[in-house]
Amino acid sequence: MAHSPRKGSPARWAAVILPPLCLGGLMAWTAGMFSPAAISPSHFMQRFHNAGAPDTGFRRAHAKGMCATGWFDPSPEGRVLSRSGVFKGEHLPVMGRFSLAPPMPYLPDNPAVARSLALQIRSATGDDWRMALVDVPLQPMRDIADAYAFFGAARLDPTTHKTDPAASQAYAAQRPWLKTAFEQVKAHKQSSDLTNDTYNSLDSFILTNDAGKQVAVRWSVVAKEDFSPAEGSGTNDGNYLFKRLVQTLDQKPLSWDIVATVAREGDPVNDPSQPWNEADQKVTVGTVTFTKAYSEDESPCGPMVFDPTILPDGISVSGDPLLALRSSIYMRSYATRSAEHKTPSMVTPGDVANPPLTSDEKGQ
Amino acid sequence: MSFSRLSILLHWVMAALIIVMLFVGLVMAHDSTIHYAGLFTLHRTVGFLLLLLVVIRLINRFASHTPPLPNDLPAVMKLAAHLSHILLYGFMIALPLVGWAMLSAGGYPITLWGGCHIPPLIGFHPHLWGALRCLHSLLAYGLILLILAHIGAALLHGIIRRDGVMGSMLRR
Repeated sequence: MAHSPRKGSPARWAAVILPPLCLGGLMAWTAGMFSPAAISPSHFMQRFHNAGAPDTGFRRAHAKGMCATGWFDPSPEGRVLSRSGVFKGEHLPVMGRFSLAPPMPYLPDNPAVARSLALQIRSATGDDWRMALVDVPLQPMRDIADAYAFFGAARLDPTTHKTDPAASQAYAAQRPWLKTAFEQVKAHKQSSDLTNDTYNSLDSFILTNDAGKQVAVRWSVVAKEDFSPAEGSGTNDGNYLFKRLVQTLDQKPLSWDIVATVAREGDPVNDPSQPWNEADQKVTVGTVTFTKAYSEDESPCGPMVFDPTILPDGISVSGDPLLALRSSIYMRSYATRSAEHKTPSMVTPGDVANPPLTSDEKGQ
Repeated sequence: MSFSRLSILLHWVMAALIIVMLFVGLVMAHDSTIHYAGLFTLHRTVGFLLLLLVVIRLINRFASHTPPLPNDLPAVMKLAAHLSHILLYGFMIALPLVGWAMLSAGGYPITLWGGCHIPPLIGFHPHLWGALRCLHSLLAYGLILLILAHIGAALLHGIIRRDGVMGSMLRR
């Protein structure tokens, strides 16, 4: 073989060096090293930071919150829709977290902000059902690109610490497909309290029953307390919503029905920004009852991740792109915050032990 | 002198699975994809499978014959070869164990493809979750570097030195 490259020729060395170099380059490309414009979980963390999330151990969204524990009692109707162990009829423990939706952990309670409820329902056989619900009726974003732009528009001006109204107006104006969502969010009547609010999954899930039949549903966690419209607190207490929740729980348990809205043909299952047919069937699959409140600094619900894609057998994710996004972002936020030194939550153990409203400098 | 049939099979099956795992992990950590839940389930399932395979492989390593390195290989390269193999085994064992421990510490249920549940390796320790999640990434980047060096070294043996070392893992 007179023409074969000699031992150590450049061609041979290239054959040694190029394969690992190409594989390494492909991995670097997958890690986004050559495409900094791609939307990564770190980019979202940066946007939450710019929107007011501090790096002091709090979750990057729904930062101000309080925990509650209680029970879930399934209804027989739930079992018809899903084979999940959580609907088998047993009385199951529930851990919940009530929160304000913005990324600021020290936001004084006020009637203008959206509120959220996260739930974890567990069975003795290892079923784990986590839900992350908000009290707005529709999601003002339909996909990952919308979400990224949405949190970009939520940026606080570094000097005034206020959002730029022009940015959120531009966000809405550039997205005609969100018109209905914004109209419904605007028309939504805020309730007076956390106790009489209704919280929605917005995202859709697929239920599978014992016969293998599948339906798509959206969840609503509907207050059994009567609705009354929001006003001010009447006092200058920055924790009035949470303290009034504690006061009520000190007197009586509080219940919410978990209601599945079952999709019909034509309902946009994978788009949380679009409404479903008003006449869709609604099925109450069970009732959550809270009996006791805790500061998140003294409850496992504080650090806990309420990733809505953590689901028992019989409930699964739909193709909704925001579910996938929430899972990855919650995981990143959880890893980041759990490695930080956490400052005390605004709703302290003292507030839970001694809930009467006081005028404090935390109020608005 | 070649590795045994089982050694060669284990090496290539694990090599393919590890490369897939590294790419899936990189996508999960650095991209926002609508396939996140599916990739996460795949990552847990293949990770657990790899942990089982590395145990079998470790037993096989001691139970079967390992061909000796060529006599004319410089002592430094022999040392590098042995050290890198020990490190590769260490990372192949540590990565899935840390992954299992971190999900346990974070309170994530560990469900595999098909709905099978794996018990938690440790209890719910949110502070450990952050540290273990970080360690999991560091180990993965370390394994990537080791694998790239391993491929380069194998090609060096096969193409430059032509000493039969690469062939011992290619054919029986």
